[in-house]
Amino acid sequence: MIPAIETFELTKRYGAHQALHGLDLDVTPGAVFGLIGPNGAGKTTTLRILLDIIRPTSGTARILGTTPGEGGPALRRRIGYVPGELRLEGRLRGRQLLRHLAEISGPVPPGTIDRLADRLGVNLDRPVRALSKGNKQKLGLIQAFMHHPELLVLDEPTSGLDPLVQRTFLEMVREARDAGQTVLLSSHVLSEIQQTADEVAVLSGGRIVAQGRVDSLRLSSVRHVRAGVDGTSLALLRGDLEKLPGLSDIAVTGDEGGGIARLGAKVEGDIDPFVKLLARHRVVDLTVEEPDLEESVLQLYGSGSVEEATHV
Amino acid sequence: MSRILPVFRRSLGDSWRSLLGWSLGVAAALLLYLPLFPSIGGNGEMQQIIDSLPPELVKTLGYEQIASGPGYVQSTFYGLIGFLLLVIAAVSWGSSAIAGAEESGQLELTLAHGVSRTQVALESALSVIVRLAWLGLLAAAIVVMLIEPAELAIDPPDAVGTSAALVGLAALAGGFALLVGAVTGRRILAIGAGAGIAVLAYVGNAIANQVTDAQWLRAVSPYSWAYRDQPLTDGTDWAGLVLLWGVSTVLVVLATIALRRRDVIG
Repeated sequence: MIPAIETFELTKRYGAHQALHGLDLDVTPGAVFGLIGPNGAGKTTTLRILLDIIRPTSGTARILGTTPGEGGPALRRRIGYVPGELRLEGRLRGRQLLRHLAEISGPVPPGTIDRLADRLGVNLDRPVRALSKGNKQKLGLIQAFMHHPELLVLDEPTSGLDPLVQRTFLEMVREARDAGQTVLLSSHVLSEIQQTADEVAVLSGGRIVAQGRVDSLRLSSVRHVRAGVDGTSLALLRGDLEKLPGLSDIAVTGDEGGGIARLGAKVEGDIDPFVKLLARHRVVDLTVEEPDLEESVLQLYGSGSVEEATHV
Repeated sequence: MSRILPVFRRSLGDSWRSLLGWSLGVAAALLLYLPLFPSIGGNGEMQQIIDSLPPELVKTLGYEQIASGPGYVQSTFYGLIGFLLLVIAAVSWGSSAIAGAEESGQLELTLAHGVSRTQVALESALSVIVRLAWLGLLAAAIVVMLIEPAELAIDPPDAVGTSAALVGLAALAGGFALLVGAVTGRRILAIGAGAGIAVLAYVGNAIANQVTDAQWLRAVSPYSWAYRDQPLTDGTDWAGLVLLWGVSTVLVVLATIALRRRDVIG
């Protein structure tokens, strides 16, 4: 099977700054592929090369069996793209903008634009410049999805969207996969990738530092937790916590004579033992923070060195 | 699904308000100046005033012929106000067409769809040309309309030919703005380039008007290409038109090549 996207030794240099150092990507058709990495890792550069908006300094990319340059407009009609920095200006109304973009993309089935707009909850009769960032982003999603492209290239697609709409977006991605569409999704939010992607590549400093099935990468392993528990002594709690594997930065505060004890810690790896320990007490509040991407990626795979990369 | 000239139609759709504004400006300038000719230029008083001015100033302003109808229209509108209006419009549109679209992020989105860069560049340029041509046509129509009431004694085809020269001159400045915008992606540089070439063209022609040794400037000043043979008096200057439109076409082609070769960063 021809990969939906394939890059060989892709490099991109902007003057003295090297944005990509020999990127090799391989995206299976029909898969949701996540490209994650901190800001400045080279995600946007990679995606722009795929759309022929910028050209690589060396190396090649093949998309749906052809190169971005050779494929040209005909290739791009088969792709839906959300730019990383979507800016929409002008008096043009959302509907007019989408109608214009529909003319220059693949055929859009009648009613699709309105159906997507209803689903995402955006008013198409307002001038685009009057829309909030989130609503502009919704127009960006509509124009990428409306012609049911074979390949969706989405650069930080959920930025500016509220959590409810983010969930709708994740549904749309799953439906696209079920319909056989390939999705390449970039993000610096781990959970978003974990909820949708089959495969993932971790980008850091213009290099892939890890690549493989989502569950095979130890990406969710660093979490910050905070909790308040009642009915235990601080010393006892601290002792129990210190015995747990994978816990660090433990801080326990509160009144020695009883009352609510506040604790904070960094959990690496399995969170189950920590939850079981908490469950022995009355938990008055609990916060598990979204694992920090930089921490998860850079700590586990080094600061971007290829030698330490884990290929699965 | 893809209907004809999508980028061109979008561009016109985005800019009709601005086109309306420029049309009003051109119409206002003509309707204010031209009807004054019988009372100012036509009764000999104007010629007396001109005669009393230093000849260098008169030559610099190109006011030698101001006492005749064609000379008056040339000096006030085609050589001055109309030149200013169309050049400013052309530079503004030419710099927006590629560089402005790139800076606003619109170009990245457009190019991510099923259009080629050649198509985007040429359709954007066509949109600028069509808008300029509309202003030229409007100017010619108003001049022709005013020939009788304002006693201008202009042959109507000459008004059309001179308007074509004015549009060609503006298109050249706009084309240069388009080219610099396509090369750099920076709107401010494009505006500077387009405005700069228009100023140089005007100044070059003005110097050639008064300095005998500087006649060679007429060969390189697009302003001279447009007006040196007094097309409003002596009839359409086809050589000048070919030069203006030829150079404008070359600039558009170069802009297209530049855009094809470059990364679009925004």
